[in-house]
Amino acid sequence: MPRILLIEDNEMNRDMLSRRLQRKGFEVDMAVDGRIGVEMGRAGKYDLILMDMGLPGVDGWEATRQLRAAPETATVPIIALTAHAMAGDRDKALEAGCNDYDTKPIELDRLLGKMAALLPAAPQ
Amino acid sequence: MKRAKPKRRARARKPRRPAVAPRQDALLRLSTGIAEAEGETDVCRAVVGGLYGEALGYDFVAVLLVDQASGDRVLVASEGWKQAPSGLRIRPGQGLSERPLLDGRIHYTPRVTEETRYLPTRNEGSEVDVPILANRELVGVLVVESNRPDAFDDGDLKILAAAANQAGIAIGRARLLRAERARADEQEALRATMADLAGRLDLSTVLTAVLERAVRLLGVSHGELAIYDAAAEELEIVASYNIGRKATTGTRMKLGEGAMGHVARTHEPLLIPDYHEWSGRSAQYAAVDFHAVMVAPLLIGGHLVGAIAFMDRDPARQFGAEDLRLLNLFAPQAAIAIENARLFTAAQHQRQYFQELVENNPVAIVTLDERHNVVSCNPAFERLYGYTQAEVVGRNLDDLITTEETRREAVGYTQQALARQAVKGISQRRHKSGAMVDVEVLGVPVIVGGKRVGLMALYHDITELLKARREAEEASRAKSQFLASVSHELRTPLNAIIGYSELLEEEALELGVPQIGGDLGRIKASGRLLLALINDILDLSKIEAGKMEIYAETFPLAPLVDEVTATVGPLVERRGNRLVVEGTAQTGSIHADRTKLMQMLLNLLSNASKFTESGTITLSVRRDGGDRVVFVVRDTGIGMTPQQMGRLFQAFTQADASTASRYGGTGLGLAITKRFSALMGGGVTVESVPGAGSTFTLTLPARGS
Repeated sequence: MPRILLIEDNEMNRDMLSRRLQRKGFEVDMAVDGRIGVEMGRAGKYDLILMDMGLPGVDGWEATRQLRAAPETATVPIIALTAHAMAGDRDKALEAGCNDYDTKPIELDRLLGKMAALLPAAPQ
Repeated sequence: MKRAKPKRRARARKPRRPAVAPRQDALLRLSTGIAEAEGETDVCRAVVGGLYGEALGYDFVAVLLVDQASGDRVLVASEGWKQAPSGLRIRPGQGLSERPLLDGRIHYTPRVTEETRYLPTRNEGSEVDVPILANRELVGVLVVESNRPDAFDDGDLKILAAAANQAGIAIGRARLLRAERARADEQEALRATMADLAGRLDLSTVLTAVLERAVRLLGVSHGELAIYDAAAEELEIVASYNIGRKATTGTRMKLGEGAMGHVARTHEPLLIPDYHEWSGRSAQYAAVDFHAVMVAPLLIGGHLVGAIAFMDRDPARQFGAEDLRLLNLFAPQAAIAIENARLFTAAQHQRQYFQELVENNPVAIVTLDERHNVVSCNPAFERLYGYTQAEVVGRNLDDLITTEETRREAVGYTQQALARQAVKGISQRRHKSGAMVDVEVLGVPVIVGGKRVGLMALYHDITELLKARREAEEASRAKSQFLASVSHELRTPLNAIIGYSELLEEEALELGVPQIGGDLGRIKASGRLLLALINDILDLSKIEAGKMEIYAETFPLAPLVDEVTATVGPLVERRGNRLVVEGTAQTGSIHADRTKLMQMLLNLLSNASKFTESGTITLSVRRDGGDRVVFVVRDTGIGMTPQQMGRLFQAFTQADASTASRYGGTGLGLAITKRFSALMGGGVTVESVPGAGSTFTLTLPARGS
């Protein structure tokens, strides 16, 4: 069962996405800001990290850079989640070290497709 | 001569033949008299005085001179008949005395009674008529009569010929002298007129002087000078000499009225023998006492500036070639005086006009010499910088109103303007108080007669303008910021609404209660529409604030088109439409903002599917000449009228107010598409026929803008 870390400061988004992913068979841990997210990511051996970019304090780009810099998480797939499809956000996210990028509101099927492409083997 | 015998003085009988001595005495007396004479009248009197008297026994002696203008013989001097007045005229064709003028010879008539064609009132007597030649020209006749027939012998004829000869020589001399004097007078009058023109006398003084001189030279009794008022097409008398009791100055005459009005029209001089009999006379001159009139137009380079007229109250005075010659000497002088005055006035008015323009100009204007020193400034300059003109004249402008920071730039402006280029810029300058003033600066070289003499700087106070602009920019920034944050704040709860409705839909399916799925789907769809609207508004506000950035990248078109068609597919199918894609295989790559291009194509396709039912929507892509990519979205839907097309690309307008409710959509998609395409160096156009569908054409540069 793939272990996912969802780093998201908004409680409802966090609750919603985690429940939908759990129903699809993922094990989902949650972090509420960038600092905690980086700590949890390095400690938890996750298969994939979903990173909200607009986090308070250490933002998603910075957290991504820190995760990439740490040996434990240097190769863990990271998908950036941004609020509005801002041209350039994708480049910015990829530049920071993200593997892919998706926009909110989350369309679950689209996100699942992107996740599947990055995970070693499909769940279920 | 005509005369009545009873009026003749009775004379005593004298010896038939006078001695030689009295004849020599007479000639001597005559010569002495002539030598002392001044002018031709005196000469004539001396001749008459020398011949008349007891000694020679002549009863009547007269000298008649020919008036060149009329050909009349005019009695100048006579003795022996008191009733023969000076000035008496004998017309050509009359009198015995005409004969010497016709053949140049002496005519002796022993018995005048036999000459019946003449003087039928005369009873008896004899007469000698001797021609007078002056400067080889027949100028008059010496007439000598006796009351007796056969009274003259050869001796008489000889002495009379000698007398006439002396008279001719003296008259010739007198005339030469008179001509000489007249020329000297003319020269003097012209010199005086030139001096007047050169002097700074006012026009009326100059014209009055010109007129008086001309009147004196012509020897006439009246003169008038008028200026032509081109605007009113009237002549106004500005100088008059000796006309009636009332001065005619101020009289106005229409073109064509009277003698002056006549020449004003013809531009040719006019001679009128008798004004009272002239058909063109003006009612304004009905009561005048003159007869002959000479008028000339005053012309400068062929255009009329006035008219000059001379008249004489002597009915015998007629104007001739000599008068015209004199007139031609003075008319140009008067014309020049009038034209000079007119040019001077016009120049003065122009100068005043420009001075007013500068003085009352709200723009600060300062003129500088070639060394940047102030020559003059206007009141607006004084107000803008707090200096009076007296404080700045002669001082270096840059020293006065620039600071260390702006000096280099100001000197640059000055140099550029001195190099004959107008220069314009926005900057700050220093008020006398030290405060800074925002100004728009315009520097222009001042070139007079092709030579640069300095420069002019204009300062427009834009402090208020800049303040207003800063405020407007601030307001615009605040608005964009507000919209961005409001959009963000709106999006977060919307994401929750959409997300939870999807979650509930999934759970409803799992729990086996699909009947609530429909309602949840409506909540979700409404949420998505609201989100799209917010995103569009945010896009538009970014475009309008100039904050929309373009992230161009190079990518193949075919996958993009696939992605677009996959996304829009469900929407197209919803109304039973078919989507046809043409030409993507050969289109290659484009360098553009991928996200925005996709958004534009989605907008055009969703727009097409909204207004088409059970039809075909075609997306075709082609390269236009290699450097442009053309996307065409064609539908078979309801189409639009030209009026609807006019509003099509404006924000918040669907073609019909009711369409929004019927067809849905934010109404912003096409407005955004148009602005995006412009930002990317392309454009979007539409063609449509109501009822037959619409075709939108989006063109973008293949290699980016």
